[in-house]
Amino acid sequence: MRCHCSIIPNDVLKRFAEDEKLSAPERKNFADTALVDTEMRKLRLQAGKLTNVTAALSRAPVATVATPAITVADCNHSQTLPGAPVANPGSSADLTIKRAYDETKAVAEFYKTVFGRNSIDNAGMTLGSSVHYGVNYNNAFWNGMRMTYGDGDANIFIDFTKSNDVIGHELTHGVTQHTLQLAYSNQAGGLNESISDVFGTMFRQWRAGQTVNQADWLIGSEIMGPGAIARHFTCLRDMASPGAAHCLAPQPFHFSNYHAGMDPHYSSGIANFAFYKIAMAVGGQSWEKVGQIWYKAMTGFKPSVNMRMKTFADRTRKLAVSMYPGNVALQRAVNAGWIAVGL
Amino acid sequence: MGIVKIERIGGLGGFGGPHLKSRGECSLADLSAADQAAVDALFASQGKARAVPGNAPMRDGFSYRISRQTPTGTKTVEVPESMVPAALVSSVKDSIE
Repeated sequence: MRCHCSIIPNDVLKRFAEDEKLSAPERKNFADTALVDTEMRKLRLQAGKLTNVTAALSRAPVATVATPAITVADCNHSQTLPGAPVANPGSSADLTIKRAYDETKAVAEFYKTVFGRNSIDNAGMTLGSSVHYGVNYNNAFWNGMRMTYGDGDANIFIDFTKSNDVIGHELTHGVTQHTLQLAYSNQAGGLNESISDVFGTMFRQWRAGQTVNQADWLIGSEIMGPGAIARHFTCLRDMASPGAAHCLAPQPFHFSNYHAGMDPHYSSGIANFAFYKIAMAVGGQSWEKVGQIWYKAMTGFKPSVNMRMKTFADRTRKLAVSMYPGNVALQRAVNAGWIAVGL
Repeated sequence: MGIVKIERIGGLGGFGGPHLKSRGECSLADLSAADQAAVDALFASQGKARAVPGNAPMRDGFSYRISRQTPTGTKTVEVPESMVPAALVSSVKDSIE
């Protein structure tokens, strides 16, 4: 049964379950939904509490496992999560399953090797992914507990596992959930999305062994479908040129263009462009220094649910000084990057 | 019984922006009694549902902007995908504009 009433108040569900104008199967559907809804709410509350507890313990994490387990489930084109568990996904003949496994494992290695982080929660949390979600489903998302990928409609988008920055992006939403706990609206929402783009693109560059000059800084370039390519769209977003015509989702990149209520996938262009400008000014590989500053800004402080962009910018400015005290050029680059976007 | 207009927004690609659109509409009369009841519940619970603990939005999840005519004008609610009846979800078509 597809539970499509998950946040309708339980009393409303129960009222429909007893409404004699509805058929018996329909009443049963509402009754079942009310039951599932109650349990799902308990589960989400527990997940939230668990996130808060692990965040509180994050200064002294107790790693239960040295490296996280990686699991993949197959939704078989349903929208029921998590889907059927796949045995040995790393050797699956289904390339989507194998790719979800391989790239998630690589993201875990990226976080471990580059930032010393053990999984999403820094305590070895199992990394679960669901693939083949829905029919022609043009999206990928993090649902608070796992990554989920659609196959695309084969016109605008193709298989969402094909861009490894998308996998890094979704997994990083989990890291943010366990660290800064940023909200998903207004300035905090834009920061939330930007952090996922920043770590997603850093992962892509790390995987390819690229310097900042070799990288193309595109987000989602490998999930563009033939219909999008035919119209000269080459990516979802371009961190180097957020407003460019080749972006399917062009973004503002100066804070003067931000307004409250903006979709976080658009307001993220401001911090994305700042990161790009700083990384290019510093040179080398994005994760070596600038990525370290961003990681510390995300993980080294208490949760800040409604953080403003200026607060995050100032935090990175201070970290540039404290983490690289003798590197004046880097400190100036961080400052100039934020000034370039009006922060 | 009127027309329900549906727009899918958000997601990783930011549907609802300058190029990515996803829109549809359906007649309330064509919906099953259960789906009509679910639509009524969406409009009745707007605001109240948002306050339920543990219902933080998914990251990169789709939302739906659903509008219908009432005697006092057009009413619009914006709800996560998990709340939307399948008949409404299947009425939207993704496009590039």
